[in-house]
Amino acid sequence: MVWPMTAVIQIEGLRKTFRTLRGGARVALNGFDMTVEAGQIHGFLGPNGSGKTTTLRTLLGLVRADDGRMSILGRTAPEALPEVAPQVGAIVESPQFFGNFSGRRTLRLLARAGGVPAERVEAVLTQVGLRDRGDERVKGYSLGMKQRLAVASALLKQPELLILDEPANGLDPAGIREMRDLMRQLSSAGITVLVSSHILAEIQLICDHVTIVSRGQRVATGPVAAVLSGFDKGEYRVRVGDLDRAADVLGTAGLPVTKNEDHLVVADVGDPAWITEQLGRRGMWVSELTPLTPDLESVFLQLTATTPDPGAPKQVDEAIQPGTIDLGVQS
Amino acid sequence: MNLALAELSRLVARRFVLLMTVLLVAAFGVTVATTVASSHRPTAAEVAEAEREVLFAQARIEQIREDCERQRVSPEFCEVYTEREPRIEDYLYGVFVFSQEITDLVYFMIAFLALFAFLVAASFVGAELTSGGMTNLLLWRPQRVTVLGTKLATVLAAVVALSAVASVLYIGAFYAIAEVGGVPGVLDGEFWRDLVLTVGRDLGMVAFAAAIGFGAATLGRHTAAALGLVATYAIVWEIGARIVFEVIEAATPDRYMLSSYIGAWMAGEVSFWDQYGDRQYELTWMHAAAVFAVALAAIVGGAFATFRHRDLA
Ligand SMILES: Nc1ncnc2c1ncn2[C@@H]1O[C@H](COP(=O)(O)OP(=O)(O)OP(=O)(O)O)[C@@H](O)[C@H]1O
Ligand SMILES: [Mg+2]
Repeated sequence: MVWPMTAVIQIEGLRKTFRTLRGGARVALNGFDMTVEAGQIHGFLGPNGSGKTTTLRTLLGLVRADDGRMSILGRTAPEALPEVAPQVGAIVESPQFFGNFSGRRTLRLLARAGGVPAERVEAVLTQVGLRDRGDERVKGYSLGMKQRLAVASALLKQPELLILDEPANGLDPAGIREMRDLMRQLSSAGITVLVSSHILAEIQLICDHVTIVSRGQRVATGPVAAVLSGFDKGEYRVRVGDLDRAADVLGTAGLPVTKNEDHLVVADVGDPAWITEQLGRRGMWVSELTPLTPDLESVFLQLTATTPDPGAPKQVDEAIQPGTIDLGVQS
Repeated sequence: MNLALAELSRLVARRFVLLMTVLLVAAFGVTVATTVASSHRPTAAEVAEAEREVLFAQARIEQIREDCERQRVSPEFCEVYTEREPRIEDYLYGVFVFSQEITDLVYFMIAFLALFAFLVAASFVGAELTSGGMTNLLLWRPQRVTVLGTKLATVLAAVVALSAVASVLYIGAFYAIAEVGGVPGVLDGEFWRDLVLTVGRDLGMVAFAAAIGFGAATLGRHTAAALGLVATYAIVWEIGARIVFEVIEAATPDRYMLSSYIGAWMAGEVSFWDQYGDRQYELTWMHAAAVFAVALAAIVGGAFATFRHRDLA
């Protein structure tokens, strides 16, 4: 295998243990792998504390890895970061800006420090909707406005690769939609986007690929549709007058049936027409027949084993330890 | 260069820097005002009286010299033994004499400027490390040594430039006071040469203080780390170790104190008596330079070395 890779981001076997002065150790990354190809909008998902931010920090040279190798835009990271930095826009976990400066001044200074033409400042301020508030002090910005400023700073360089760690954090519904449109727009302009988020419905809407991490290891990766289809058990929701009799009929035909209060869930269904036919032939008329395709949220909860359990709140490190159960990781 | 300009605007926009500058100006203002209030232009009568006293003193000194030489000690000894030539300024009371008082005033100013430089430099890096501003900048310029180095160079240049301007204004102000409401005194070439050298060394002192503050705050990732370092050093070494030296009767405890070298650097040369009071030794600004270099290498060098590899939050 040739290294560095042609992929925009390639991470292999990344390990990082944080050690405290008192001798404590916290494993943040435990042999993590990730590939992001050019042009993707790649979602980066994982429970709290699973290592997303640590991965991005390490990739961007803020944290030193204990082991593993990384490349970014075809160059070895972190060694070649100074050369690729002009093409990478990044925000890592709600960046802090100097409160006494206005948003506009903050961006101007960054532009200056990075050799970006000053006209870009107005362009990005408009792009993130801060044009009219650009002269106010950052101190006085709301959470979402600070987040918008952060995104503006990442866009300033007209990057080829955009790395966004929880960009939707604190954004209002309109802001989230604008962010979504912005990412699509950037992607259609050929920019590769890596975005971490906990808003899974949002990720499912925007992203074409995902990587899911749990306890510092990858548990799934691939096109969103492929990851979801791995969890598609061919289930259908069936609503019909006589639930018991219908369950009997379908059960006898060999399909796993779960009876709920007002509907049945039938798995392993090849062709749904078969259900209508079987039931109709016996005088039972189907009033609803809906395919139960898994969404990203349910897949995420299953993959990371963080499905909430009423009455017993899940603790942050109770997510699945990959390798303990065969999850059938798709690659 | 762009990075340095960006750093400079960040520096001047800091509230803390503004506050410190105001305090600095206020302190200078108070010094100047009290000098003005306590000085007056000598009247003709006062000058005449002083001239009379000078003559009287000259006669007295001549007498002492004669006594000394009569006892057949060497003439060089008598030269040293007798006081220097009396001057008219020595007998003008309540009059500000520029040539006599400016050196002490400059020391006072430098102590203030050094403190200012130390705090400003420490907070400049400390605040950015704690706020994450440094992380932001490093995402833009992933070159840690360049980024930290530019920051240090910017703050050094700024405090030294400010101190140079402050020194000129300060000395100028006192010179003006002397011209208007006091007496300038003897301002020969040697006086000016000494004053310029003192100011030059003192700007070095300011830079040293700034670099140490910056380095300590970087090492400890916090502004408070710099203050902690100074407080710890002062208590453990300057006070604690001095007591220990006294107990074990070490011969030359002053030789091991940074404060001695600071004094030597500011004055150009300081002499100390050893513990038994029978041998004198000198510490010069060159000794001080060597000690400062070691301290800088340890603290600033250490700061850069650890900053290169450290995990940044
Ligand atoms: N500077 C640090 N010192 C010690 N431990 C750390 C440090 N940074 C992260 N960790 C630990 O590493 C693990 C991964 O943290 P990380 O911030 O990467 O999680 P994350 O996936 O970004 O979580 P979230 O979704 O909450 O943002 C956590 O257990 C965290 O406590
Ligand atoms: Mg995070």
